[in-house]
Amino acid sequence: METLDFLATGFSVALAPMNLALVLIGCFVGTLIGSLPGIGPINGVAILLPLAYAMGFPPESALILLAGVYYGAEYGGRISSILLNVPGDAGAIMTTLDGYPLSQKGEGGRALALSAVASFIGSMGALILIVLFAPLLSELALKFGPSEFVWLMAFAFTCLATMVGSRPLKTTVGVVIGLLLATVGVDSGTGVLRFTMDIPNFYDGVDFLVVVIGMFAISEVLILLENWLKNDMKLTPVGKSFVSMSDLIAVKWVVLRSTLIGFVIGVLPGTGASIGSAVAYGTEKRFAEGNDDQFGKGDIRGLAAPEAANNASAAGSMLPMLTLGIPGSGTTAILLGALLMFNITPGPLLFEQQPEIAWGLIASMFVGNIALLVMNLPLIGMFVRLLSIKQSYLVPIIVMLTFIGIYSIHGDSFDLYFMVLLGVFAFILRKLGFSLAPVILGLVLGEVLEENLRRALSISGGEWSILFNGPISISLAVATLVAATGPFIYKALKPKQ
Amino acid sequence: MFDRLFAGALLGLSGLIAWTAYHFEVAFQYEPLGPKAFPLILSAVLAVCSVWLIIKPSANKWAPTGAVLVKLISGVLLMTGYAFLFEKAGFIISTAIVGTVFCVLFGEQTKRAVLYSVTLSVVSYFVLKHVLQLNVPTGMLFGG
Repeated sequence: METLDFLATGFSVALAPMNLALVLIGCFVGTLIGSLPGIGPINGVAILLPLAYAMGFPPESALILLAGVYYGAEYGGRISSILLNVPGDAGAIMTTLDGYPLSQKGEGGRALALSAVASFIGSMGALILIVLFAPLLSELALKFGPSEFVWLMAFAFTCLATMVGSRPLKTTVGVVIGLLLATVGVDSGTGVLRFTMDIPNFYDGVDFLVVVIGMFAISEVLILLENWLKNDMKLTPVGKSFVSMSDLIAVKWVVLRSTLIGFVIGVLPGTGASIGSAVAYGTEKRFAEGNDDQFGKGDIRGLAAPEAANNASAAGSMLPMLTLGIPGSGTTAILLGALLMFNITPGPLLFEQQPEIAWGLIASMFVGNIALLVMNLPLIGMFVRLLSIKQSYLVPIIVMLTFIGIYSIHGDSFDLYFMVLLGVFAFILRKLGFSLAPVILGLVLGEVLEENLRRALSISGGEWSILFNGPISISLAVATLVAATGPFIYKALKPKQ
Repeated sequence: MFDRLFAGALLGLSGLIAWTAYHFEVAFQYEPLGPKAFPLILSAVLAVCSVWLIIKPSANKWAPTGAVLVKLISGVLLMTGYAFLFEKAGFIISTAIVGTVFCVLFGEQTKRAVLYSVTLSVVSYFVLKHVLQLNVPTGMLFGG
């Protein structure tokens, strides 16, 4: 019952006029950003974060806006996947497999409508699961001490390393780079200046926003420059957009299964929508064995599965971020960084002490998803038209927004130079097959990890054995070990085809 | 090859980090670990990973043509220039110039690029400054 009270508090926050407006703006901008090829949810949130910060919103409002962009983009990503065979973001890659063939058959409208409903059910299902699990998880997390948090982060990084990116080794390097960036600045325990290179701007650490914008948005501009070809994208005609009951009934179990898969993968630290949708697609293909010859040629099951899953995992990745302070995906890592900038530490106490933030966000996601369903069914034509915006018009806007966003924080040109430098560095990382999400996760969690490690060893007087003290620590250590070795053992045992 | 080069640089960096961290002057310290340990552990992990990557690099097919490289470098220079001009020349002028060049880089005709960028910068200036009330540099020309 307590949960319902909190949820009611949440809705009173989410339905306040300004927050309601921000949800709608966030969802609209998110769908737009998701539908434009190349600019995914991470970039959208990264570009808007400094603006939201500089405009002085209260933390819950800023979070509601940015989260709206995040899950809105998961809706929008499918539009260009279906119509252009170009995924709008990484979570929508699997959607191209069956979505594009459908639109080529002249059933683009049907595909867009069905995938919108699948997205909606995926999100809503995951939200209900969040409401059920958030209180349990935050209660468990209240029992966590420093050594438990150390293991939790070790577990998060291990999941990330073995499941994300081209090679575990490269992901680990990414995490370490992020963690090292987090050590720059004055050490809070002793006042020692670390790695500041005598630059005063670094005394209070590298600015989170500068790193995020530089690494994601600026490197994205370079990627767009590199990939730019003079092609006029031809939109396939959409046809009539409608939801047919028979389609929905045909995919109901597919959608529910994929929602669950997406949610679980979203909750796992570090693994986000792109993995969730791929696993859901693979699972459905196996479920349909013997009857799967249409997969890849425009099967509605192959369309509904990844869409339900990527939205479910986007929502699911909020759960560990809010309850444990461990982001479930790259984009939630940025949201976590946003909260930290507002001096709010996510974690078990957030639900007790600042229910308006945690529950306000959850309630706003219910509202936002309903708004998104409306935007994505009757108003879909508008987003489709926006797909034909030329990159030559788009890129100056992106660059302008990143510069003004960063400049307006401190009013210092140094941040702009540093941002461009980081962008070049991140571009090189991407070209070498490193993913950027691990770097951001490392950066966001670095300070907390070091603090907890030092606190744990202070308690034990320097004895490292404290890390194996108590049942929760040991279970987390075992989970870390399983996450580290599991995928390799599975690969070794799997019969070769 | 790219991987080896990069890993070599990382290896050097990890050495530098370890050396710097080892020489932190800590005046007082109440806890067993102190400010040195964490960076030292990280630099060790980074060193091991770099050596591994040098031994087993991944294949990399990235081979940008000369034209693409020129484009990339001009993109970087353009953004550096934007950073330089942003405060000095002010938002409107710097955005109009940089926006125009970006438009052209992405294949727009010069006339339309100028028209678009000037409109963009003037409209955005008023929206960002007066509607969103952000800290937008006016620039010396306008007495900012």
